[in-house]
Amino acid sequence: MSPGPLGRLKSALGAGVLRPGRLWEERPLRRHYDVVIIGGGIHGLATAWYLAKDHGVRDIAVLESEYIGFGGSGRNTAIVRANQRTQENVPLYDEGLKLWPILTDELDFNLMFHNCGNLNLAHSEAAVAAFRLSVNTANFCGVRSELVDPQQCKELVPALDVSDRPAHPIQAGMYHPPGGVVRHDAVVWGLARGASQHGASIHQGVEVQAIDTEGGRVTGVRTSAGPIGCRKLGIMAGGYGPAIAAMLDIELPVNPLTIQAMVTQPLKPFLHHVVSSGAYHVYANQTLKGEIATGAHMDPQVNYTTDVTAGYFKHQAEALTDFMPCLKGVRFLRVWAGLADMTPDMAPILDGNFAHEGLYLDVGWGYFGFKSGPVAGKYMAEFMAREEAPEILEPFALRRFLENRYMGETATTMKYGQWD
Amino acid sequence: MTFRLTCPVCGKRDVYEFTYGGPERGPRPAEADPASGSQAAGGSDPAAGSDPAAAAEAHFRWAQFRMNRPEPQEEWWHHGAGCGVWFSTWRDPATNREAPPGGAEAGGHEASGRDSS
Repeated sequence: MSPGPLGRLKSALGAGVLRPGRLWEERPLRRHYDVVIIGGGIHGLATAWYLAKDHGVRDIAVLESEYIGFGGSGRNTAIVRANQRTQENVPLYDEGLKLWPILTDELDFNLMFHNCGNLNLAHSEAAVAAFRLSVNTANFCGVRSELVDPQQCKELVPALDVSDRPAHPIQAGMYHPPGGVVRHDAVVWGLARGASQHGASIHQGVEVQAIDTEGGRVTGVRTSAGPIGCRKLGIMAGGYGPAIAAMLDIELPVNPLTIQAMVTQPLKPFLHHVVSSGAYHVYANQTLKGEIATGAHMDPQVNYTTDVTAGYFKHQAEALTDFMPCLKGVRFLRVWAGLADMTPDMAPILDGNFAHEGLYLDVGWGYFGFKSGPVAGKYMAEFMAREEAPEILEPFALRRFLENRYMGETATTMKYGQWD
Repeated sequence: MTFRLTCPVCGKRDVYEFTYGGPERGPRPAEADPASGSQAAGGSDPAAGSDPAAAAEAHFRWAQFRMNRPEPQEEWWHHGAGCGVWFSTWRDPATNREAPPGGAEAGGHEASGRDSS
């Protein structure tokens, strides 16, 4: 199966066209592949990369209806962390977090992992109790996370107002040193280049319109560029996943919601950690350019658009300046939106061969799709190559929602926005 | 972009005056009666029957599973910042706008742009 370095060179010079300055080859679209992956984002590209690199599966097409990184992969706020809530989730996110420096080496591509640490703020007794639970779960799973008092919050982030003045005074913080931010576009480009070098082909502007099955097996997809046969199909399209599953009449406990983010004008470096607050419904970090990248408002109704709302500017400005008053008067430069595929338990669905043989599903990551991308790809590749769920993915099967085995990833009630 | 919903009492109002109540999902499935082992009175879902596991599964499907096609759907809204009425209306998740009742079958699905940005 493996073409070896010479074979790869031949394929780069022969069938494919590697134009100067291009990161991945443009190969002609064939009519059949062993594996077709729907979605040219981090999850799909990582799965293709690990399939080709670790499992010798190189006959792969990644189909992207727009351009790679168009969806959530290029719209998230680039925050990574591993301080999740449940024993099933923490090990997965922990490995995902530890993958960034490894990936940087393996892909030979600077992913700009900035290990600045995350500070999450609690503004109520209930939130402090939830932090205790999260910190203990993280520590039990070997992930560094600690409870800090308001004074320690102030030492970490001097811009915070830790007095009683804000509407929601800060009562404690959860500090998670291993987290930080990663340049999300670099992850998309690095994975695309790596997957392409290992033989996977990436096809942009190819929209899947229907999925074909026969005798209980997936046999291919019908696309805007004609039919493409395959033996295995991965739905890894982020927020668009439910619409694609619906092509097979598969209902999912997943609601795609529009989530908004924005950046301010560039400022001198002053915010040295990712800061987030559930009560204010804000997370913020200062980019290397100096902008404050912040989110995240989410509309509650199912919505496949990436429209933004005026009311969100107001909310974000009020929330940010209430606990970081030094930001008063700073201007927002840009606002955008992406889709978050929300499940009832805030944990993803990773499943395979459940409705049709050869069908694999990686959906429902909600806001956690970016930080989990490479690790999800690693294990979905193993799942698709061996046709058997890796142990670490077993708790994430779709069936848990029919057996009342929700994971309880959130320790407190989720606050999506002003309506609850 | 924000949009306006038509309240049956107040007319077109900004969507932020409303609370989303979820899609119309039909009648609640019957629950198995653990005492008699028979279907609870008023139940209408034959799939549930007297098997508690099947009844539970039918309930979970009804409560959480959705097709979520990008096409018009009927859903519930509450005009909390206005007259307080609960009402059902049609909206297209592909455009995030109100849609004519009946959805695609009624010819209400004109704009199918998935992404208007």
